[in-house]
Amino acid sequence: MPSYKNAGDTITEVFFLKGKFLRTIAIASILTVVLAGPSLAANGRVLTIAQGSDMLTFDTQNHLNTSTDCVLNNMTNLLYRKDANAEVQPELAVSHERISDTVWRFKIRNDVRFHNGDPLTAEDVQFTLMRAATDKSLREYPYFKVIKDVRVVDKFTVDIETFEPLPTLLRLVSKQGSNILPKSYIEKNGWDFFLKNPVYSGPFQFVSWVRDDRVVIKPFDGYWGGKNTEWDEIHFRVIPEVSTRVGELLTGGVDIIYDVAPNEWNRIKNNKGTALVNGETTRIMLLVVRCTEGTVTADKRVREAIDYAIDNKALTDIVLSGSGTPTRTRVSRGVTGFDPSLYNTYCYEPEKSRKLLADAGYGEKNPLEITFTAPRGRYLMDSEIAQMIAGMLEEAGIKVKLELLEWTSFSSLYNAKKNRELLLIGLADNYFDANYPLIHYTKDRAKNETDFSNDESDELYKKAAKNMNQEERVSQYHRIQQIAAEERPHICLYQLKANYGVNDRILFVPRIDELTYINEIHRK
Amino acid sequence: MKKYLFRRILQIIPVLFIITFAVFFLIHVAGDPVAMMLPSDATDSDRQILRTALGLDRPFIEQYGIFLSNLARGNLGRSFRYREEALGIVFERLPATLELASFSMLLAVFIGIPFGIWSAKARNSTMDLLITGVSVLGRAMPSFWLGIMLILFFAVKNPLFPVSGRGGIEHIILPGFTLAFGIAAQITPLVRSSLLEILQQDYIRTARSKGLGEKVVVYKHAFRNALIPVVSIMAVQIPGLIGGALITETVFSWPGLGQLVIQAIYGLDMAIVQASVLVIALVTIFFSLLADVLYCIIDPRIQHR
Repeated sequence: MPSYKNAGDTITEVFFLKGKFLRTIAIASILTVVLAGPSLAANGRVLTIAQGSDMLTFDTQNHLNTSTDCVLNNMTNLLYRKDANAEVQPELAVSHERISDTVWRFKIRNDVRFHNGDPLTAEDVQFTLMRAATDKSLREYPYFKVIKDVRVVDKFTVDIETFEPLPTLLRLVSKQGSNILPKSYIEKNGWDFFLKNPVYSGPFQFVSWVRDDRVVIKPFDGYWGGKNTEWDEIHFRVIPEVSTRVGELLTGGVDIIYDVAPNEWNRIKNNKGTALVNGETTRIMLLVVRCTEGTVTADKRVREAIDYAIDNKALTDIVLSGSGTPTRTRVSRGVTGFDPSLYNTYCYEPEKSRKLLADAGYGEKNPLEITFTAPRGRYLMDSEIAQMIAGMLEEAGIKVKLELLEWTSFSSLYNAKKNRELLLIGLADNYFDANYPLIHYTKDRAKNETDFSNDESDELYKKAAKNMNQEERVSQYHRIQQIAAEERPHICLYQLKANYGVNDRILFVPRIDELTYINEIHRK
Repeated sequence: MKKYLFRRILQIIPVLFIITFAVFFLIHVAGDPVAMMLPSDATDSDRQILRTALGLDRPFIEQYGIFLSNLARGNLGRSFRYREEALGIVFERLPATLELASFSMLLAVFIGIPFGIWSAKARNSTMDLLITGVSVLGRAMPSFWLGIMLILFFAVKNPLFPVSGRGGIEHIILPGFTLAFGIAAQITPLVRSSLLEILQQDYIRTARSKGLGEKVVVYKHAFRNALIPVVSIMAVQIPGLIGGALITETVFSWPGLGQLVIQAIYGLDMAIVQASVLVIALVTIFFSLLADVLYCIIDPRIQHR
């Protein structure tokens, strides 16, 4: 056998070129790296935003996906739009009036053009809203099916008729899905063409999309609200792995990153030139509690005992490092109908929990046994939160069988209503009206899921859904929230915050709807 | 050989049939796609309406029959998530995946074979132990960890390469090395053991006794035969690289097939899963055929009948 010294030569011999080949490769590699270099420095007038997932489609009515909305909201217009405080403000609409309880008349701007130069008219509004209201295969259909008809009154006036009085109509037409589509462009070219060559009327227009890599948009010269002169291009990059997103931020490859987990916060905070920013979301993390007759949690005292055993503040402070606020209501702060008396409060009293359990007939010899299902990897620190809750319940004397499931299995279980006594879930609200989240406390919606039934709550919900008196409607929603907090078909835990990493050259204020509006992002 | 190839190509049809059925069945039992499409607040009636609109309320066999009849016409269906032709979306991603896979395989061969030979020739030396040790480490090391470490050291702390994304050659080096390292770690010991075994054979002794030089003995007589197991490993690894580079693609946000498949599985997007699996299956079959042909070229004694 050759000695080690002789063996040293063989590495190059293998290439039959006595080292020349390797040397050439090595020099070429070094030159490539040095000359090409990593694309590190952020271009001054190019804004790069890194999201965890790609947009799904340019069909505004068929996705229900925040990453998609973040791109599309910058390219589209709506009749009304939510401002940073989630208040509805006119965008394409100039005015509106209520003709009757079910018919609203909207006048729209007459100076709006789509990116292909076509004027935006009432016909486009009709086309958009009627599609969402009638095409049952669209994800937005459940929201828009309340619309009975949309009639063109003149070139810039439309009437929207709903089946029932709809106090939330302005919320509906300021919601994603009502982004106005170009009727004649789509009819002429077909949907497949449109989805590859999208045209809208918003401040930014389409440049390119490489799936799972990036979407590029640029300011639209002919925008009725004035062209954005701050940015030349906006790149929405897709970087699924959070540590990679952070790496890109630290090296200046991107300007803003979404969804930063607490274990990455210090890397961003301690790095010169980057900052951690957080903002509220509408997502409420809560426990779905079975009230079905025959289950242990059908007993109200047991549900109370579970609530009193959980220290919400410890969850938000210890596990989430402050990235959540304890709450006792499913309606998020910032949403119409939200009851502030139930926000930033919780009921943690371990002694009372034990007493309630004893009253319900449970003790050391006869402990309460429950199954607790939670998702893994869907929400911020979800499995850690679930484990901590299980620990708190065990502390109170409850035997917990914890089932942690990946999202597909979890979602199938939840939607098949196979949830057992407790289930951890995060529910958001992109409608921004209590009408949407409070449907859970009606008998029909609760059927087979929580099986919660309360006549007063049912009655109030039905009345509020049609109540055109806003003040009275809000008080009806407050009452439903008080009933739910008392009866606990849901044990609300906390309202989640979203965390972003931001390059210091950027001024960025997060919005509660978690959307990104380029016109609200500025260079310092 | 021609007959053999013809027979193997014919076998593709039942194999693909079985694969489509298995995927269809598994996705079907995995859950309700509508559950992934509507928000958790949606009502039962909303879900039922969407299920009906998408034809998902039909019996399993009927859905599969429709799928097969479309497949016969070259139509793999439309993605639920993207609402576009599934095959088009898969083909859109294929170049990125093929680029990463071929670069990684090439790099793995460039690393694995020389070190395998080196290790065999320097048997029981310190260098042999070192190479064997690194190979074991390479097989044991999770690729996501290696990827993250490479990013940390060569992109963040010492910004020599970009952190992520697909672009010029500088973009492919870190993900390529991440994938190649694991494969090279399999090739190296294989080349080593195979070469060592061959070097003990009679014909090698004969070659040496004829007075042939060590280099001619190793490279001309031994190396070629030692390549047979390497070709097998490569044939097995290439399909894995096409469909299974998921973790590396995710860590480096490389826009390839892996990311698409995992999102489709999470979203129970049947058309995308089927199209991806069929493409990966065809690639697998192609490479296993190629490996068979290569065996014959490397070792003319092997004959397929």
